[in-house]
Order: sequence, then structure tokens, then C-alpha cells
Amino acid sequence: MGPSARENHTALRKGICGISLPDYLHSRYAEIFPAGEIKITTETLKSRLNITDNSVTRTTVLAAHAFEEALDDAGLSREQLTSPNTALIGATTVGGMCLTDELYRDANDKGMNSPFLDSYDCSSVFLYLHKRYKMNGLANTVNTACSSSANAIMYGARLIRLGMVTKAIVGGADSLSKFTINGFNALHILSPEICRPFDSNRQGLNLGEGAAFLVLEKEEDARNKKVYAEVKGYCNTSDAFHSTSLSDDGEGPYAAMMGALVSGQLQASDINLINAHGTATENNDEVETRAMRRVFGEPPVFTSTKSNIGHTLGASGAIEAVYSVFNIINQEVYPSLHFTDIDKNIGLSPATTYGKLPIKHVMSNSFGFGGNCTSLIFSES
Amino acid sequence: MTHMFYIHQTSCISPQQTFYNTAIDDLETPVNNRLHAVEPAYNDMPKNSLRRMGKTARIGIGAAMPLIKQVEGFNGIIIGTGNGGMEDSVIFLKEIIEYNEGLLTPGHFVQSTANALASQLSLASLNRGYNITHVHRGLAFEMAAIDTAMLLRENARNCYLLGGVDEISSYNYKLECLDGWYKKEDISSGGFYSSNTTGTVAGEGAVMLLVNNDKYNAVAKVVNISTLHTIVAMKMQQHLQQFLEQHINTNIDLLLSGENGDSRLLAYYANAENLLKNDIAVARFKHMCGEYPTSSAFALWLACKLISGVPLPAHMLKKGDSKTTYSNILIYNCHKGVQHSFMLVSKTE
Repeated sequence: MGPSARENHTALRKGICGISLPDYLHSRYAEIFPAGEIKITTETLKSRLNITDNSVTRTTVLAAHAFEEALDDAGLSREQLTSPNTALIGATTVGGMCLTDELYRDANDKGMNSPFLDSYDCSSVFLYLHKRYKMNGLANTVNTACSSSANAIMYGARLIRLGMVTKAIVGGADSLSKFTINGFNALHILSPEICRPFDSNRQGLNLGEGAAFLVLEKEEDARNKKVYAEVKGYCNTSDAFHSTSLSDDGEGPYAAMMGALVSGQLQASDINLINAHGTATENNDEVETRAMRRVFGEPPVFTSTKSNIGHTLGASGAIEAVYSVFNIINQEVYPSLHFTDIDKNIGLSPATTYGKLPIKHVMSNSFGFGGNCTSLIFSES
Repeated sequence: MTHMFYIHQTSCISPQQTFYNTAIDDLETPVNNRLHAVEPAYNDMPKNSLRRMGKTARIGIGAAMPLIKQVEGFNGIIIGTGNGGMEDSVIFLKEIIEYNEGLLTPGHFVQSTANALASQLSLASLNRGYNITHVHRGLAFEMAAIDTAMLLRENARNCYLLGGVDEISSYNYKLECLDGWYKKEDISSGGFYSSNTTGTVAGEGAVMLLVNNDKYNAVAKVVNISTLHTIVAMKMQQHLQQFLEQHINTNIDLLLSGENGDSRLLAYYANAENLLKNDIAVARFKHMCGEYPTSSAFALWLACKLISGVPLPAHMLKKGDSKTTYSNILIYNCHKGVQHSFMLVSKTE
């Protein structure tokens, strides 16, 4: 929906959908499955960022782009960025595997060594950022599949809360790949039409790509500065049920949402809006809403921004954290798109129109393969 | 901070005899410059699920099973892995290419995420607590250990399963060979310390630890973990100096050095040795486990054994005299000349 936070905000307000058949993804499924593709080539992004290193992958380029915007917006000085007390906590699940064909050739000795030998894993993305921006603080990479960057935010927030660092730049990135589109197709959960979270006729998810970073700082240090929101609560749990689907009663999602409320010392009734995981798969939307009912009784207003950009996997927790911040600072709800009919197994409708709403606390859910469930709460500062 | 956590139970599947009982005096040596894990029979794991598991999951769950069975429960699972899931990734992408994106079964895709092990551990132990996988290459285990220490500050009475697991997969072996990380000449175990060439021997292993805040009956305590990213040997030296100054009152009696025979990394390890007092013994472990991203977890397991009275094998000793027991062990490990880890492990007072 655009290469900046501002453009994403505008698109959310207008209810714009950034999902279409991919133009740049090299896959036979590019003609079948729509995706939230960033319509800028890797080469163009690289030249905008003055990246000449030929080992850099698309995932890393997307990460660097978002990282720079976050730095600029936070006005971090060179000294602050390079302080040993500034941590970098990143997350990705595709990492350098966006280079499916190159990895195949390298791993099977099918030709010349590519320049990417050291770039296929997940940590390559954040090791590159750490080096490029001459950082000296703690650096980490988290991979818990689709909840990865929600867990990165949680890790950074905890480092600060426990006084181990004073600042943490947290976020995630993932790019579309032949690898993931084939994987999700094998699981039969890709939708041939634009995804319709929570709708009775939903047919699955659309993949997406993107990156987002947030600069977290200790409350005392943030005084007299521009502050968007507070990371109020967080919880990660395991559903302990199945590798790719959630338990019927949503034990993991329930425990994550409850745990986030406890950690933020909030009541369920304090939550004004939920940015749901809402992938538009049969299983997720049904189980997530069931778990929401268990936590909230009658759930608050909820939306799925996957209807705008698709499922950006390891980046989704961070992108949706930024969208949750937009909800808070503008006191507004963005429409969840493509919803028409209530699913009788869900019995709930997401917000489908733009509106103003007093919002103190937003809950953002991210659930990943292997039953990894993370709920974050962002609050008005 | 007097401790990060206390270690109560340890389990290790490695290229050495470390699982059923610890017999580390008898050295298993590399074959074709690879040290493969000695795998147990896995009698307590269902055969069907064993067949579907990649090696990371197999050795990880295999190492964790004795701990899962011994304790009544723990509150979360924290895993560090550099290459976890990569083998399944490469198998799946091979299917993608060779079947030209045809109809594929999702098995390898599902196993290809690094957190497949942590999620299978949660299934095996029916643990619905905190569950995470850190994949920060040569510091993946350290990030998991720091996470666990944070959890124990947040929830003082809890107990956690902390693990570090990696396998030699076709993925990492071929790619890292191409990238020059393994020796080209065939070398015997221990011989690589004197080879004066670049590269090392590939290794793998799974270490699982049960940790909490309770010093009673603990095997050892991890006092401090510090990490650094730099290629500059001087910066690494300064960092270690500061680390040692923080522990000026601790009598370190052994340096466990991650020296791996790669001539490019010798300067870092020499720095670590030179910063310590002359009478401190130096022991090496990479000829036992080989090189892999979470090999520092194997070093931590070794430190626990040495602290609890297992004699230091002669093949490990590089400098100084061996003692009957050790009280304070410093582990220094350097991954690929970029990621540095410093861990101080002590006997429980």
C-alpha cells in the first residue's frame, strides 16, 4: 500500500486493497493466486538505499527500507543508534529463502557459487542491518513463523522493561517467494480470490510482503519527545495441538490474549479494538473468534488488515503493530475489506467501514505454525 | 546480578558419548571432516513421528525426553538454533524445482520453519507456556539463554526448558563448504588445531537444560552472558576486558575456548587467553562437537559436567594443569569471526 508509513495510513483510511496478481514473483502460481506484492523491484529499492552489496536479498532490502524510515521518524542520532544500549531485534521467516532458485542451485552444486551463500538464513537480514548501521548493541533474530515479529517486539520491550537496554529497534520483514507460495498451496490454504477475513465464503489467505520497524524506548527517556504509543502488554503461548491448525477451542489464542491482559494489568473491557490475526483461512478465523468470545464475552470492534495487504508472515506482527499505532494516534478504525456475509460458525462481523472511535488500548494478535500464539497490547501514551 | 539462572538437569546428544552416560575421555573422531551426532535408540518416541522428523527435531526431542519425563512440568520452551528447519526447506525447494511447482505434499514445508522443534516439544510435553525459537546464527543459543534469564526475572518461581540444537544438513554443509568454512584437506580430530589452514570440521548436537532460580541441588549457575558483533580483534578484547572487570572477584579457573582450527579466528582466541591470568588453564572443545552455530550450548553442557566433578579429559587441555574440580569457567566462542559470546558458569555456592 505504499513505501512509507504515511502512505499506508492513507490507504487504510481509504480502504484501499493492495492485493493483486503478482507481477514480479517468479512462480507459475503468480497467475493464479493474488498476493500483496510491493510493486517495486529489488534493484530499484537497492539503488534508492545505495546498497551495492550483491549478496543482499529482497527481504533484507525491504527491511533496510523500513528501518531507515523508522530511524528518521524517531530522529535517532548516530550516537544513539550506535550506542551499546540500543538493541536490534528482528524477525523473519522467509529470510534469504526468497531466492528459491539460487538456493536450489547452490545447495545442490548446480553451477557457479552465487553471491548469496551467506544470505539464505534468517539472521542474514539483521546481521546486515546491524553492520550497515554500525550498531554495537545486542542483536537478535526470532523465527516463530507467522508470529515472528510480534515476538521480536515482545523481546525488545522486555529487554527495556528489565533495564538491559535503553532502546530497542524491533520489527520484521518478509518477501514473497516461490518457496512460500508452493508451501501454502500444498497446505490448500491459498485463496484464488482476494481474501475475505471472517466472511462465510472465505477461501483462504493471500500471501503478502513487507517490513516494519518500531523504535522502543524507556518511558523516562521518552518524556518530552514525540511518543506514538506504549507497549502495554504481551504474551506468547503455545497451542500444543497441531503443526498447522489451531485447536477447536483456541487454547493458545485464548491464553495469549488473557496473558497479554494480565501483563498489561488490564481488564478485557479495557480493549477498544482488536487487530485480529484474521488470515481468512477456515480454521484461523473460526478459532480466533471463538477464543475472542471466551476472553471478551461480546468482543470489541475487530478488523483484519490482512484484507489490505495479505499475510506478510514474519513481518505481519510488526506491520500490524504500526497499524495499531495509527488506530491509537488518530482515534479511528479502518475498514476490514471484502467482508459481506456473516459465517454462522462465527456469528460476528468485523468493522467494515471507516469510523472514529475513542481508542485507549488495541490488542494485536499473531498466530503462527506450530501453534505459536502472541498477543500484544498497544496503548495511548 | 549474582546469577542469570541455575541449571538443574542437563541432557546432550553430540558426536561424543554424552547421552546415556558421560564418557568423554574416549574420543569419537571426525569422518570426512564431519562429526555426526551419536544418536540413541529413541525408544520412548513414537516410530511414526520419528520417521517424519528432520534430524534437528529428532536429536532435539531425543535430548529433551529424559528431562520431560523427569520433571512434573515446566513453564516454557526456549530454543536456539542456527540451521533448524533448513534441511527440510532445501528438500521442499528441491521438490518445487524438480516437479516444476507441481502438486506437492506439505510435510517438508511444515517442518521447514525453525520453530518446528519448539512446537513439537510443546506437543510432546503438552506445554502451553512461552514458546520461542531464536535463530541468530552463532548467537542463537545465547539469545535463548538471555530470554530464559529474563523470564526468570519476570516469573521468579518458574522453571524453563532451554535448548540449543543444530544438525549437519546438506544445506549448511554444501553452502558452508562453498563459502570456505570447512577444511579442504582431510584432518584427524585434534590435528586441526595445528593445521594452520582456514576452515574447520562440521559438527552438530542437541543440548537441553532445565533451569530455574533455585540454587538448592543445582548443577551449576550461569552468572553472566555477554555477546558482541565485530570483526575487529581489538574491540573483542576490550569487550572481554570489561566483562572480566565486572567479575573481578571471581577466580576463573578454566577458559573453555571455542578455537576451531580456522587460522582466521586464531587472533580472537589468542586475545581471550592473553587477557586471563597466566595460571588459568585453557581447554578446547571443538574437536569433540565440531563447528556449528549453537556449539556454545555444548560448551555450557561440558562446563556443567566439569563443575560437577567429571574429570577434564587430557585431549581437551591446551595449557596449564587439570584440576579435580572447577568452580568458575569462562566460555569464549567466536562464530565466523563476527559473533562473539562470553559465558561465565560457576559452581553453586
